[in-house]
Amino acid sequence: MGLRAALSRLAAAAPVPVFLAPGAGGRSPAQRLRLSPYLEVVDSPRRATVMLVVGAVAAGAAEELHRVHDQLPHPRAVLWWDMETGATAPPPLPTAERVVGDEAAVVGAVVAAHRGLLSAGRPSSPPLLADVEPNDWRGVGPFGQGGKGMTGGTPYGRPLPTRAPDRDGLELDQLVLTLGPWLPMLPAGLVVEVKLQGDVVQEVTLAPSPGLVPGAAPADVFERARVEPVPIAELELARARHHLLWAGEVLVLLGLVAESRRVLRAAVAVVPGAAAAELAHAARTAGALASARRLRHPMARVGLVGADRLGEVAGPTARASGVVTDARTDDPAYRSLGFEAVTEEAGDALARWRVRLGEAVRSLELAAEAGDRLTSVDCTPEGPRGPWRAGGPSPSTALAHLAPGLLVGLEWGDAVVALASLDLEPAELAADAARPAEST
Amino acid sequence: MLGAVLAIFLIALAGGLAIRAGASIAGAASTAGERVPMLGGCAPGTHAWSRFHARWYPMALLFLAFDMEMVFMYPWAVVFVSEGPLALMEMLMFIAILVVGILYTWRERALEWA
Repeated sequence: MGLRAALSRLAAAAPVPVFLAPGAGGRSPAQRLRLSPYLEVVDSPRRATVMLVVGAVAAGAAEELHRVHDQLPHPRAVLWWDMETGATAPPPLPTAERVVGDEAAVVGAVVAAHRGLLSAGRPSSPPLLADVEPNDWRGVGPFGQGGKGMTGGTPYGRPLPTRAPDRDGLELDQLVLTLGPWLPMLPAGLVVEVKLQGDVVQEVTLAPSPGLVPGAAPADVFERARVEPVPIAELELARARHHLLWAGEVLVLLGLVAESRRVLRAAVAVVPGAAAAELAHAARTAGALASARRLRHPMARVGLVGADRLGEVAGPTARASGVVTDARTDDPAYRSLGFEAVTEEAGDALARWRVRLGEAVRSLELAAEAGDRLTSVDCTPEGPRGPWRAGGPSPSTALAHLAPGLLVGLEWGDAVVALASLDLEPAELAADAARPAEST
Repeated sequence: MLGAVLAIFLIALAGGLAIRAGASIAGAASTAGERVPMLGGCAPGTHAWSRFHARWYPMALLFLAFDMEMVFMYPWAVVFVSEGPLALMEMLMFIAILVVGILYTWRERALEWA
């Protein structure tokens, strides 16, 4: 056996470096793929051999999807996990191989694609963007040199940054970046336009990706609770699972990947009908994380939100700023369980972390005590991000209004943590943006 | 002389081969779309060359200044045994003066650069 074949066999046996591009409804299934021992979810397409599109991506994000695809080094493959068995249109990726089924089927398809690329002669997916530079770098001299400005010419068609006053009273360059929708450090589907000086955020605009299809994800228990009574036990388990999945995302962001896996494993076990031991384990995990001292340094005093700046924001973010507001306190069924809202005073990312994990523990207790009690349909249900009445704007829209003011002045690393601590859902923003168009 | 020339030639050859091998193993980006930096899907709007205020600059200068003071420690260490406690006193006085400088820097908030 030749050296090349031996190396290919070794490479094919390693966990597959896969880059995930979650679309509508793909965020939590993509999270669960992190638990597979056969996959290594990487944070840049440059490190991946397989790109996996999870859920629906509309044609509006075709160019962005193609650009991420082209950034995978050869040999590369692209797969699409169709979670709704043909109900959604395929993503705008002509070379994507469609996979239907559960996580095991998807992991199997990804591993097969990876092995096919390395040893079975599967052809690498060709580039999708045209091979043209935005503009040639051409100055006025005979060799393209010279011209206006520091460098002369326009380097690859991109203008040099413009100047703006910075926090020290200096007039320095301002870097304008449009990040997302598949930058792993941001919520999947969020496009962030940010103006940076050094690594200090000067201005932020948030928008959902045009690739998010409103209504593509199946209705969850929180959406059903807006129109019909649902079992409190089911609702509270879904809340605990949501908060634990969110904690898993934040831990990946902080570089604690092994710890994130532990939380995700606990989160996926929180389902209606789970064994009491599994739920007790999830509650212990959440409780331990809520008081973990090692998380104090990256999150304490980051992204401070005073109670006066909350505006329309309710839910865990408001409760972390010391405001006692929880739609569940209005519900007679919850009152009969002796429900009290979990609050913190500090208003920083750490306080939001503690409120959400404290709520996860409380939700698991409520689910155990609730028996077959149902929610009252007259009361606005409290979702994992805040109250959301039928036909009203989503909690994410209020959070998206809060976020820019919160991030300005922070260094980029803190800004990313502060944004993650708000638990924004871009799909909710997309649904809100689509609503006025539907009604007119 | 011949050995040195040969060594430089071999190092240059090895470097060239490593670059070629790296490009052929990793699959060097060949199209314009493959070469752009990863921003999560969006294209970069401005060039990445930008000047910003390096706030740690005064701190770096301070470090250099205090680092150079330590040069005086070497001759002192050579005569320390023969001079005895007098040399120790002199060095403590020298360091005390430096510490006053650090305290002044601290008061002027030059150590905070975040």
